[in-house]
Amino acid sequence: MARPSVGLLYNQTAPALLAHAGGLVEHLTAMPDRLWFDFGRSAPRGQRFRAARAPIAELQAWAEGRVLAGHGLGMSLPSAMPLDETLLHAVSAIDHALGGFAWYSEHLNLFVTPNASVPNAQAGLGLPLSYGEAALALLKPKLRRVAGALGCRLLLENGSFFTPLPEMEMHEPAFLNALHEQGLCGTLLDLHNLLVNERNGGMPAARYLDLLDLDAVEEVHLAGGDDSLGFYADSHSTLTPGVVWDWAYTVLPHCRRLRAITFEYQESYFDRIGVRALATELERMHALAEACAQQQETADAS
Amino acid sequence: MQADFQQALAELTACPEHCRALRADAAWLSGRYTLSPRETRQLLALVRHDGMAHACTLYRMNRLAPLAINFEATLAALGGELRALMSAYWREHAHGHPHFFIESQRFGRWLQARPALASGVHAALALELAGVEAALAASLQDTEAIA
Repeated sequence: MARPSVGLLYNQTAPALLAHAGGLVEHLTAMPDRLWFDFGRSAPRGQRFRAARAPIAELQAWAEGRVLAGHGLGMSLPSAMPLDETLLHAVSAIDHALGGFAWYSEHLNLFVTPNASVPNAQAGLGLPLSYGEAALALLKPKLRRVAGALGCRLLLENGSFFTPLPEMEMHEPAFLNALHEQGLCGTLLDLHNLLVNERNGGMPAARYLDLLDLDAVEEVHLAGGDDSLGFYADSHSTLTPGVVWDWAYTVLPHCRRLRAITFEYQESYFDRIGVRALATELERMHALAEACAQQQETADAS
Repeated sequence: MQADFQQALAELTACPEHCRALRADAAWLSGRYTLSPRETRQLLALVRHDGMAHACTLYRMNRLAPLAINFEATLAALGGELRALMSAYWREHAHGHPHFFIESQRFGRWLQARPALASGVHAALALELAGVEAALAASLQDTEAIA
């Protein structure tokens, strides 16, 4: 494993952080959904998506000299309906405009069904997927199609839920392992989502990490959340909690294919978190990346 | 069955009344969706889980967000009518529009067409809907079609 890079999920306040601590940010992850206006599925052909020129130009400038990845919010790949080809075409257009994503990730959540949808402002309310062979069969052709269209490595991110589903055919780590074993995609491991699920009655994070094939993990998300109406929410409103750092130091040095550690915060909390605290978070991430590289050097030497 | 399971999951999250109906009567699902016995048990467990109320609340908060930003005075003027009107709007438009200004414009026009609104609502709505339409037009000036 080369030393994983340290980066940020880009949002409209990221330029202020980059101006303050740009030297600490080695990669940026762009959300195509934030760079266009979507006029909906009923829009005339060729008129559904309109790219916003100014935000794209600003991102292009900040991505200069950095690795750039893509992170999608709305493709809803596990939905039992055909792939949204127009959306994929729009992602591809943004990918092309930005010079090509080094990798592209999506969520292992459900956001859209044929006759309904759940609002997905930064993946705040993804619905759980019932993991099993049927879901695998549904995802396979879509993952191949998306990877082929974008021409880069594809990752799927573990989700966060308020309502764990019982009686699933397989648990989420086994599902992610199967996707990796079948060569369909890698894993974007969101460590904070493990905390959210553990706090809300889902699988304990330690057990999840024991079951997950760490060779599948290529990117890790760090983030923070808060308590809301008796539940713990993935609000991206704080720095990474201590317990998530503990998991990161325990597990990440053993992820041999890890290429990136990315911090996510919601832009509306930028002032509350503060630019200095965000810079300190990036410094902590660099220390973690160094620990990963040192562990690997030790393993290689022995 | 997978499609019906997902459809039921989305519709339950969008509608607390459906959750209450299912909690009260497990047969509520039959006739509406084609589900395996396991999927039925999963949905029953889901609506009985404390987290489902939170998911329903978050759904409503997220759908309300663009309207709360763009129709602050209108929603305030609706007062006690707000909850029932929002439920009716969301029943008619199960897909939230991804564009905040278009979702707001759609809601504003839908509300304008409702009979028997208080005069204070009409005044606030006319002003705020005009603002939404101007903002929508402005937002599209520096854009290009990509798909």
